[in-house]
Amino acid sequence: MKKILLVDDDLDFCEATKLILESKAFKVSLAYDGKEGLNMARSEQPDLVILDVMMPEMNGYDVCVVMKADPELNRIPVILLTAVSQEMFKTSFTKEMGLMTEADDYIAKPVEPEELVERIEVLLKREE
Amino acid sequence: MLTKPKMLVVDNDVAILNKCSQLLLGKGFEVRTAQSSKGALQILGKYRREVDILLLSLELPGLGAMSIIEVLKKTKSRILVMAMSADCGEEAIEAIHAGAYDCIRKTFTIERFWTKMDRVVERFTLARQLEILKKQRLSILKKDSYDEDTVRAIMNAIPEGLIVTDHHERIVFYNSKAADLFGLQGDTALGLPIGETLKNADLVSFITESMNLSRSGHSFGHQKVGSVEIGGMMMRVLTNSIEGDNGKTIGSVSMLHDVSQKKTMDQLKGDLVSMVSHELKAPLSALLMQLSVVLDGLAGDITTKQKELLGKAKQRTKRMIALVNDLLDLRRIEEGKAVVEIEPLDLGEILHRSIDIMTLSSKDKNINFDVKIVENLPLLSGDRTGIEAVFVNLISNAIKYTSTGGQVQVELKKAGKDLRLKVVDNGIGIEKGDLDHIFDRFYRIKTEQTKSIGGSGLGLYIVKRVVDAHRGTISVESEVGKGTMFIVSLPLEK
Repeated sequence: MKKILLVDDDLDFCEATKLILESKAFKVSLAYDGKEGLNMARSEQPDLVILDVMMPEMNGYDVCVVMKADPELNRIPVILLTAVSQEMFKTSFTKEMGLMTEADDYIAKPVEPEELVERIEVLLKREE
Repeated sequence: MLTKPKMLVVDNDVAILNKCSQLLLGKGFEVRTAQSSKGALQILGKYRREVDILLLSLELPGLGAMSIIEVLKKTKSRILVMAMSADCGEEAIEAIHAGAYDCIRKTFTIERFWTKMDRVVERFTLARQLEILKKQRLSILKKDSYDEDTVRAIMNAIPEGLIVTDHHERIVFYNSKAADLFGLQGDTALGLPIGETLKNADLVSFITESMNLSRSGHSFGHQKVGSVEIGGMMMRVLTNSIEGDNGKTIGSVSMLHDVSQKKTMDQLKGDLVSMVSHELKAPLSALLMQLSVVLDGLAGDITTKQKELLGKAKQRTKRMIALVNDLLDLRRIEEGKAVVEIEPLDLGEILHRSIDIMTLSSKDKNINFDVKIVENLPLLSGDRTGIEAVFVNLISNAIKYTSTGGQVQVELKKAGKDLRLKVVDNGIGIEKGDLDHIFDRFYRIKTEQTKSIGGSGLGLYIVKRVVDAHRGTISVESEVGKGTMFIVSLPLEK
């Protein structure tokens, strides 16, 4: 069973998303801020990490940069989640943050559960 | 030419009444009489403009003289009142307080009568003369043609900047406000080309463009509107061509209005819209996930009815998300960022992808898609996100306003120097009256059929803005009950 780490400070979103992913036979652990997320990524070695961008302590971009610079973690695929619209994301993110953070994918919130699952599966397949 | 004042004499004492009338008639005054306050009020009501001076006995029975004086005062009447009483005592003072001009004893000698009457007549004449003078002064401003100084004074009093050019784009007039804006001294700039004097490339090209349009007969008599920054202020510019008697353009007139403050307010409003939209996204994301969890039975079994209601709730949530996204797109477009990044685009590929997304979301509706995309079309320089928005909006509209099992035709081909997209549906169509407004912001057609269809009224507005930004054109034809056709032409060469 593939392990997913979801890092988001929105508890409601975490709870619901966890249930959805579990129903698709993923094992899900949760972290509610960037620092905690980074620690859990180290301790649990998940198969994939979903990072919300706007978080207290350490934001998603920073967590992603640290993970990609860490030889222990840099092979774990990262999906960035943001409330910034798809369009703004494309122009602001792909050009700047995307190149800098080396995230593997990004998804604009709100995301349809089916789409989230699909994107996760694509990334996991690529790793195999 | 002043006419004599007209008189009304009021007294229940017929002897006095006759005496006054005779004296006044003798000097050629027009006289009316009344024997009671009621009769007097009747005459005043009926012949308001026929009475200038009122000789009024203070010893009338009934309503009495005071009530008449009060009525005149209340109605701001110009009628002068000469009170008459036996001895001009207390009651006379009271009457004068209330507005009467003077008082005359009923035991008057002829000489005394005229002394008093001449004064009130003179007073009346003066008041009338003053009025005439006032009218004459007003009419100076109202006359048909003005001398140059008057025109200049009027133009300088206009709180907007005003610049007039001849057809060679040389300045022929500007007002003080415009002089301030451009730091022009006196008349020094007259006769010089706008390019040399206005020192604002944006404004100069704006005026030149308007003149060119007008000369080519493009926007005959139409005005051109735009915004230009002048000395740190955001100015709204309105330029009109001036037509001579023969219909030829003989010049232009431009009006400059400071909209800096409005611009700041718009900015604040826009920032608020952005902020609220972003803040709404987080809770909406959570809500969407939660509804999906319950709907999928991941939080326990649910009944058919519960499933139906939650399904509707999920649809509503998705609509709300679409609205929030539209608001953010609108914000971006209104900031003038409709075209963000120009790159060579394969419109065929973008269209294929847009259709894929759309067909997926409309599989319940069983729409029959007829897609014709010509292969190997030349690349078009444009903004990918903008073009995607055009495609997605037009196709999703076609799907939205077509009933289940309907047909949507999409065609992309090269037409002359343009790439042309055609989206045709056999849906509910658009009324003629609505066609003029469908590209307006927040415009939504309200009918029985569209009531249940969600939307923000922003889609086509965004489409139009993007097409304009690419210097393209969009046209629409529609027939109610038959369907609608949108044609977008985007030029390959700028």
